[in-house]
Amino acid sequence: MNLDFAQIVPYIPFILQGIKGTLLVTLISVVLGFVWGSILALIKISKFGPLNWLAIAYTSVFRGTPLILQLTFVYFATPQLTGYNISQLEAAVLTFTLNSGAYISETIRGGIMAVDKGQWEAAKALGIPYRRMMLDIILPQGIKNILPALVNETIALLKESALVSTIGLSDIMQNANVVKGAIFRYFEPYIIAGTLYYVMVMMLTWVARVVERRMRRSD
Amino acid sequence: MIKIENITKSFGQLNVLKGISTEIGKGEVVAIIGPSGSGKSTLLRCMNLLEVPTSGKIAINGQDITDPNANVMAIRQQIGMVFQHFHLFPHMTVLSNLTYAPMKVKGMAKSEAEKKARELLARVGLADKADVFPSRLSGGQKQRVAIARSLVMEPQIMLFDEPTSALDPEMVKEVLEVMKGLAHTGMTMAIVTHEMRFAEEVSDRILFIDDGRLLEETPPKEFFQNPKSERAKQFLEKVR
Repeated sequence: MNLDFAQIVPYIPFILQGIKGTLLVTLISVVLGFVWGSILALIKISKFGPLNWLAIAYTSVFRGTPLILQLTFVYFATPQLTGYNISQLEAAVLTFTLNSGAYISETIRGGIMAVDKGQWEAAKALGIPYRRMMLDIILPQGIKNILPALVNETIALLKESALVSTIGLSDIMQNANVVKGAIFRYFEPYIIAGTLYYVMVMMLTWVARVVERRMRRSD
Repeated sequence: MIKIENITKSFGQLNVLKGISTEIGKGEVVAIIGPSGSGKSTLLRCMNLLEVPTSGKIAINGQDITDPNANVMAIRQQIGMVFQHFHLFPHMTVLSNLTYAPMKVKGMAKSEAEKKARELLARVGLADKADVFPSRLSGGQKQRVAIARSLVMEPQIMLFDEPTSALDPEMVKEVLEVMKGLAHTGMTMAIVTHEMRFAEEVSDRILFIDDGRLLEETPPKEFFQNPKSERAKQFLEKVR
């Protein structure tokens, strides 16, 4: 065994700096992905012909191709296609939003379909317009049904965000890569990076539990 | 007030309503009774377009609601409906259940909506439950809240779809009392029910439906003492 944590100590702050990139990509993508996923789910439920078909095709493509390919594609092909010099953060957030939106939309759709049919009928009978009914009556109940699944999706996204290191965005993974290159040691930087991810996932799990308990207030 | 002209309703191959015509006058209380699967709930649900009739016409105050261009939302706001399983909004408090539609649909101010809601809760005997969630209520209390939730929209007509069928026996009475009180205020009501005694006591007219057809349409005394059709006789023998 050849372990030497003394060598890595000066680099620890640098690896910690990666938390910012990881959190930024994860949080923005989760929020935007949730909004985008909700929109997709509502389109899928609305049975509005062509849009409905597009949403289904969209989901199929994003679930049917590797995330790392999507990320590479967005980052490198966008400048080629549009001439716009997309930044690493933009490419990362865009890809993760589009991708998690596809997954979340299916989860939300399932949650909405699981809401008791009587809730729709009661809302209709009161003359509540469709949009208001979905936003205020159906969605809140549907989302409560799927809260655990949404937490899983967020945790998955947090871990998958490590892929952004492949386009050079400075996150925990990328900074660990850099340290590895500087001191030619593998175990120490990656065990630190792994610990950071694990702690963040645990914190997220804890937050989710608190939120869930609050939402179950009405039971 | 409600004029139903020869309506039919089919679900695929199944013909649930086979041509029903009747009229319900203003302030009239009509009880719709008949065997399970006879189409009585479907008939009721056609009156606020939760089911769209396959053919025929329904007019409310002279306005044809089966016209494809009719403003369904506006029509439904005038018609309250109470369901067998209450369908209160579980994520809202009792008070919010009552104030949501008047505020968001009719644009009523919050203070006014809450004032009206509290008055109605007092009327159904639940003034102290304004701030609890529906899950904390008994079945009878839920149904009374559901009635208040419909009334706060100031409907001209109230539809009741087996409002006591899902209740424990000891809770049936409290709900029927509220409905009786409502009938005395002159509300136009259509009630699908299995409570024969209640139908006899409260309604002005019985509609007896069997196999998608309206077989009898008579005052309750006459119907219960001397039903005309053989089907009604058989039915009454079974339920009484």
